[in-house]
Amino acid sequence: MIPVGLSLQPDVVFLDLLHDVIRDEVDYYELAPETLWFRSSSGALEPNGFHRMFRELAASTQKPVVAHGVGFSVGGASSADAARRESWLERIRADHAVFRFGWYTDHLGVSALGGLATTLPLPVPMTDASVTRIRGALAALQRIVPDVGVENSVFYYHLGDPLDEPEFLGHIVAGPGHHLLLDLHNVYTTALNAGFDPRAYLAKLPLDAVIEIHLSGGSESPAAWLPSGRTKRLDSHDSAVPEPVWALFDEVWPRCPNLRGVTLERMEDTVTVPDVAVVRAELHRAREALRR
Amino acid sequence: MRERDDELCEELLAGALTAVDPCSALRIAARDRRLSSAARERLSAIDEDGFRISALLVARLRFERLLHGHPDVPAWLDRDAAGFTETFRRYHAAVPPTGFFPPDEARTFSAWLASQQR
Repeated sequence: MIPVGLSLQPDVVFLDLLHDVIRDEVDYYELAPETLWFRSSSGALEPNGFHRMFRELAASTQKPVVAHGVGFSVGGASSADAARRESWLERIRADHAVFRFGWYTDHLGVSALGGLATTLPLPVPMTDASVTRIRGALAALQRIVPDVGVENSVFYYHLGDPLDEPEFLGHIVAGPGHHLLLDLHNVYTTALNAGFDPRAYLAKLPLDAVIEIHLSGGSESPAAWLPSGRTKRLDSHDSAVPEPVWALFDEVWPRCPNLRGVTLERMEDTVTVPDVAVVRAELHRAREALRR
Repeated sequence: MRERDDELCEELLAGALTAVDPCSALRIAARDRRLSSAARERLSAIDEDGFRISALLVARLRFERLLHGHPDVPAWLDRDAAGFTETFRRYHAAVPPTGFFPPDEARTFSAWLASQQR
């Protein structure tokens, strides 16, 4: 049976409301390592209070932990970001010694554009040079965690045809121990925003490279955000998994022969009392789908 | 050669995404003759609504880092949301985002605020 996991958020309300779900109703935890750090006055990256909380949780429940970052910036070309990435690798090494990550993934793209803390995954040109750079970043991570990968991100603008991305991802993860994290809400969101059929994207993706699937929800951008009045779907992880994403999940997971886990994601500050039942039902639904 | 092109492209996009008018800055970047013609074509083809949304999200993520990192900001926001939002807008326009963690952002904001009050 493929395990079902939940992303842990450094948010006391999230952790309190979902306490029983976290302890009893998931098979593994996913965490974003950099949300568990702060930079001390000496400049070193140190664990914050949630780091200890998650370490104690994993120890007491004996559940495995996988890592899913957003900040390593695997596609970054900026030499201005090199020192930061080195310091992050050092901290990831220390975290891996504590959590023994089953695998480590980050987002496709660059999240420290020009060395700045843009923190949103942004697109890279889909070129051989980008493939080489991202594979180099994965190799650096792989010297710490043997299994590494990238997730298909949501980009709100593109540097090329988004339907070329599956092939681009295929080149990136062609190396040993390099994998794909397939985020189905990201496929759905990109397809809606860019105007293509998500199944056309999935048909071109090397599904045998997928080791993890993400399920999450999102919302529409406010109309006031754009002078054109247009809206875009946002990868905001702030609501229930929409039905079209469940449909994609039912279709695609049986075609992923190396799938190791399905993770439900919820962003911090987005869980209220009524959401607890929603999260519980979604975990149950994912598990039931995987039984079929 | 390609690496330098990609690095320059990143710098230009980073500047545009944090500019007061991201789309105007993007249009200028797309004409930068230091870039290869392929890079200029890629920038010229960017959907401006998508670029503007990205710029807004970059600012929002920074806003959230500040909110989580600065002890005085939540109360300021409660007391005077419009005033704080305007202050943040000026801060974001004046100071590039270099703080990856909430306390870093808070320190940068405090330093900028102090410089404005001198």
